[in-house]
Amino acid sequence: MLWLRTLNLGIKSLLLHPMRSLLTILGIFIGVASVIWLLAIGEGISAKAQEQIEGLGADNVIVRSVKPPTEATAGTRGIVPYGLTRDDRDLLIETISAIEKAVPIREISRQFSYGPTLIHGRLVGCTPEYYDMTQLEIERGHFISDRENERGDNNCVLAAEVSEALFGYKDPIGKRIHIETDYYTVVGVLKPRVATSAIGGSLSGQEFNKDVYIPINTLWERIGDRIITRRSGSFEGEQLEINQITLRIKTNNKDNTTAILETADLIRVSLEHHDRMKDVAIVVPLELLEQAKQTRLMFMVFMGLIAAISLMVGGIGIMNIMLATVTERTREIGIRRALGATRSDIVRQFLVETIVLSVVGGVTGIIGGLLCVPAVDIVRDAVTAYDATLMASMPEVVQEVSPQIVPISIPIAFGISVIVGVIFGLYPAQRAANLDPIEALRSAN
Amino acid sequence: MNYATQVQQLRKTYELKGETVHALNSITFDVPEGDYVAIMGASGSGKSTLLNMLGCLDRPTAGKIILAGDDTSTLTDDELSFIRASRIGFVFQSYNLIQQLTVIENIEVPLFYRGQVTAQDRKRCIELANMVGLGDRINHRPTQLSGGQQQRVAVARSLINHPDYILADEPTGNLDSKTTEEILQLFERLNNEGRTIIIVTHEDDVSQHAKRIIRLHDGEISFDRLNEHRRNAISGEMIPTASTVS
Repeated sequence: MLWLRTLNLGIKSLLLHPMRSLLTILGIFIGVASVIWLLAIGEGISAKAQEQIEGLGADNVIVRSVKPPTEATAGTRGIVPYGLTRDDRDLLIETISAIEKAVPIREISRQFSYGPTLIHGRLVGCTPEYYDMTQLEIERGHFISDRENERGDNNCVLAAEVSEALFGYKDPIGKRIHIETDYYTVVGVLKPRVATSAIGGSLSGQEFNKDVYIPINTLWERIGDRIITRRSGSFEGEQLEINQITLRIKTNNKDNTTAILETADLIRVSLEHHDRMKDVAIVVPLELLEQAKQTRLMFMVFMGLIAAISLMVGGIGIMNIMLATVTERTREIGIRRALGATRSDIVRQFLVETIVLSVVGGVTGIIGGLLCVPAVDIVRDAVTAYDATLMASMPEVVQEVSPQIVPISIPIAFGISVIVGVIFGLYPAQRAANLDPIEALRSAN
Repeated sequence: MNYATQVQQLRKTYELKGETVHALNSITFDVPEGDYVAIMGASGSGKSTLLNMLGCLDRPTAGKIILAGDDTSTLTDDELSFIRASRIGFVFQSYNLIQQLTVIENIEVPLFYRGQVTAQDRKRCIELANMVGLGDRINHRPTQLSGGQQQRVAVARSLINHPDYILADEPTGNLDSKTTEEILQLFERLNNEGRTIIIVTHEDDVSQHAKRIIRLHDGEISFDRLNEHRRNAISGEMIPTASTVS
C-alpha cells in the first residue's frame, strides 16, 4: 500500500517533466538494448563459425596439400612435385590404427562440354565415401560406387548447376560429357548444395554446385598427376597426387576429444617429412572448435563490457537528472519532512522514481533488444536496395550475420538496469533525505 | 488542566563562525488545551527558533518541550517525524502546498506519513475541504487557486491528523487584508471549536485575534499576557478586525 502510493507519486512527479523523463529513460533503453544486441550479434557470428567447423565433422582430421612457398622450391627447375601422395595415404592408414577411414580427393579446374555447350568447373576425383562426408544429396541416378572406382570407369556425377547448364531440362543420365580428351557417362545428378565458406584461412570455401565428380582412380589413370595449364602463351604446371585426405578417427564414446587430438598429433608426426617443403596443412576441426569456443567467450566478454559501459553511462544520466531534481524540489522535500516524512520516506520516494525510470528503460530496452533480429535484416535489405555494390563490398560477416538472442541476456539486462537505477539513484535520494528540513523549507524552490 | 504543550527552560545555541549565538535563553511557558497563543517579536528575537522547536523540526540545546505529557527533546529523528505527522498541524506563510498534487491529495499528505489511509480518512479529507469552503475544488491544483484559497487548503491539511495544536508561521504574511481576515476568522472558528492554536507573527493586527500574546526579545520572553480585546469579544463585544484596529 505504502509502496503503491509512493509509486503512484513517483510516476506523477516524473510525468510533470515528460521530456526530461523520456531522455533519461532513453539512456537506460540504449544501454539495455545494446546489451541484448551486442550479445545477440556476437552469438550469431560465433554460432555461424561453429556451425561451419562442425560441418567439417568434429571427428575428422583433414590433411591438405598446399602449394609450397616459392623459397622452398627456389633453385629447382621445371615442375616440382608437391603435396600429399598415395604413399602418404597408405602410410597413415597402415601406421595409425585409430584412423577409421581415409577419403582422398583430387580436384582440378576444368572445362566440361556437351555438344556445343561449355561450362567451367571443378573436376573432383573422389571415392564413394565423399558423398556422406560432404553431405551431398542425389537427385537422380547414383553417386560413384566402389566398383566404379576400383575399375576406374569413365563415369561421372554432375552437380546441379553443371547439369542445368549442359542439359537444361533434359535428363543427363546415360549421356556422355566431354572433359579434356575423354568422354564420361553421366550416372547421377546431385541436388543443389549450399556452399561452405572459408574457415580461418586453412580451408578455402567450396562452391559444390559447379562440380563434376569422377572416381579418383579414373582421374589418376586418365589425367594423371601432372597438370599443365596453358595461360596466354605461357605454361603453368603442377604435379600433385592428392589435394586432400579426410581422415575419420575411431572414437570410443568416453573421451573423444583426447583421442582425436592425440591422433591428430600422430598424423602430424607421420607427415613430418613434408615440413621441409611446407606443402601439407593439417586441419583439426575439433581444435578449431575449441578455439572458436574460446573466441566466442572472449567475444561475449568484450561485447558485454561495451554494453556494460553504455549502461553505466545511462546510469550516470539518471543520477545527473535525479540530482537536478533533488535541487529543484528542495522545497517539496522540506514540506514533506515538516508534515512528517522520515528520512527513509524521502529516500524511498526518490529511489522509486529512479527505479521507475530504469525499469521503464529496461523493459523498453528489452523490447528494442528483441527487435534486433528483424532490424538487422531490414537494415541489410535497405542498404542492399540503396547500393548493392556497397553491400557486396562489406565483409562476409556483415553480409551474413544473423543475430541470435541469448535468452540469459534478457534477465541480465533487466537486472542490471534495475541495479543501475538503485545504485545511481541512491546517492541523490540520500542527499535529499539528509537536507535539513528547516533549510529546505526556506529554499526558494 | 491539560496542556497542549509545556515549554520548560528551553535553550538553543548556535555556533556561527566560532561565536556562540543564544537564540533562545531559558524560556518557560505552558499552552493549555484550547488556547490561542500569538508569539510575537522582531526578527532575530528567536521566534523562528521557538517555532521550529515547537514544530519538532529542531531539538533544544537544553530544556524540555512536553507535548501533551510526552517529552520530545530526547526523541530520534524518525520519532520526531512521526510526531509531526500525527500530532502537529503546520500552516506556513507561503502555504507550502505540493504543486503536483491536487487539493484533496495535499490535504491527505500527513496521513500518508502517519501510516495507512482508510476510506474514513478520505471522507474526512473531503469534509475538511468543505469546511474551508473548497469542497467544489478538491481536484484543482495549487496553481489554480488564489493565495487565500491555498492557505485554506493548508489549514485543512493541518487539521487532518487531529493535531494537539496548530502551528501557524506568519499565516497571513502573503495575503491581502480581506483574505487575511478570512483566514483569521477560520482560526477563530477552529479555536472556538476547542482547537489549540499557536500563531507566530510580527503583525499586531493578527495577534489581536489571539487569546494570549507572548512577545520575545533577544531570546527571552519580555511579555506574556492575556489579550483583552479578544477576551472582551468573547464576552459579547465586537471582534476587532484588521481595519478597525489600525
